[in-house]
Amino acid sequence: MNIELNVNGHKHRVSVEPYRVLIDVLRNELELTGVKKGCGRGECGSCVVLMDSKPVHSCLVLAPQAEGKKIVTIEGLSEAGELHPLQEAFIRLGAIQCGFCTPGMILSAKALLDENLNPTEHEIRRAFSSNICRCTGYVKPVQAVMEAARMIREGKKGG
Amino acid sequence: MMFKPQQYFRPLKVSEAVRVLAKKGRKSKPIAGGTDLLVDRPEGVNCLVDLTRLGLGYVKSDKNVVRIGACTTLSQIEKAQCFRKGVYSVVKEAASQVGGVALRNTATVGGNLCRAAPSADMAPPLIALDARAKMVGPGGQRTVALNSFFKGPGVTCLKHNELLVEIQIPKQPDKSGGAFVKLRRSSVDIALVNACVRVTLGEERKCSDATIVVGGVAPTPLRAKRAERALRGRMINDRLIEETAQIASDETRPISDARSSAGHRRRMTRLLVRKALRQALNPRDEEGQFR
Repeated sequence: MNIELNVNGHKHRVSVEPYRVLIDVLRNELELTGVKKGCGRGECGSCVVLMDSKPVHSCLVLAPQAEGKKIVTIEGLSEAGELHPLQEAFIRLGAIQCGFCTPGMILSAKALLDENLNPTEHEIRRAFSSNICRCTGYVKPVQAVMEAARMIREGKKGG
Repeated sequence: MMFKPQQYFRPLKVSEAVRVLAKKGRKSKPIAGGTDLLVDRPEGVNCLVDLTRLGLGYVKSDKNVVRIGACTTLSQIEKAQCFRKGVYSVVKEAASQVGGVALRNTATVGGNLCRAAPSADMAPPLIALDARAKMVGPGGQRTVALNSFFKGPGVTCLKHNELLVEIQIPKQPDKSGGAFVKLRRSSVDIALVNACVRVTLGEERKCSDATIVVGGVAPTPLRAKRAERALRGRMINDRLIEETAQIASDETRPISDARSSAGHRRRMTRLLVRKALRQALNPRDEEGQFR
């Protein structure tokens, strides 16, 4: 079947079987390989993308179900080559080790900051409840979100 | 990979969804959030019927009843005004503990109930509040007490071509408090055991009514009726709570599986029911206050 997907502000027409899931279409047909497939069962969160501003497991979204929704992947976070404060903070604070969970974590954090620019540590950890990180112990990712929130509050672009 | 349905329908009306499911028979499956179906990937499914555009994502309340559309996501339930306070907050408590935040953005209450896992998190609070399940099939609609909806592990009373469309929660008795507790390892795990209680106080702070529902300890969510009877008509104190929790534990028929042994589930039932009763009667914050 032919479906139209709105990804990172661009419309794409793709031809897929109905049983394809969103992550496979993003990575294969659209070549957006920032989104990672860790478990394929909605348990690790490395597949998290934003769908209508909310984090979802793209391995559990049927591709046709994503029609009519706004999808944002990690590639869509930077504008004109300029990194989003979350990306900058994750890099600067050393919150990335192997990097596999990072795109999903950053997008989960973006959804949080879009609603709450002054999160507590507890709220940040809760926002990460769908993202498993085996490297960092979550300490620096949490600090990076705090830092990104501060950067946005103080006027650095990226709201 | 044996899960390769070739047909996909996205109806806009419940009657159309029912019609397609009836026409396509057992090779067709409804899909809402997909967070169970796309993990199970059952063989032999030829057709998917997407339920997400049927307009069944809503929480509506009036003075007599709260209606939850079957395709309401768990996030939507978390955010609904009517589950913020009072005994209704057990619904929000349960919804907020299913998986992680991303899962809750697509997973639906209808999916959680229709999968009919004995440990389904949405079952204990809704049963404890005397909810009813409305279903629609080719012959029309019917409504049953949610307690009767579950028939066994993974089995509900839905016929193949029937759809669960709505959960209805009746107005709760005055002076009722409730609590939901879930035992699990980490932020995304299925419950080993979960429990929900609703306690209603009558004159002189005697318990006039109680519902106690425990999940993960029987083929279906369990109403601990002997435990409920132990509370009714009596003045509630610590010792009665202990007795009641023990009775609830004795009523369970748990199995041992990958998550837990039967003995552990039985022992944990006592602790969870005790904790839930204490919390229902002494809520930690303003939510759950007796009115």
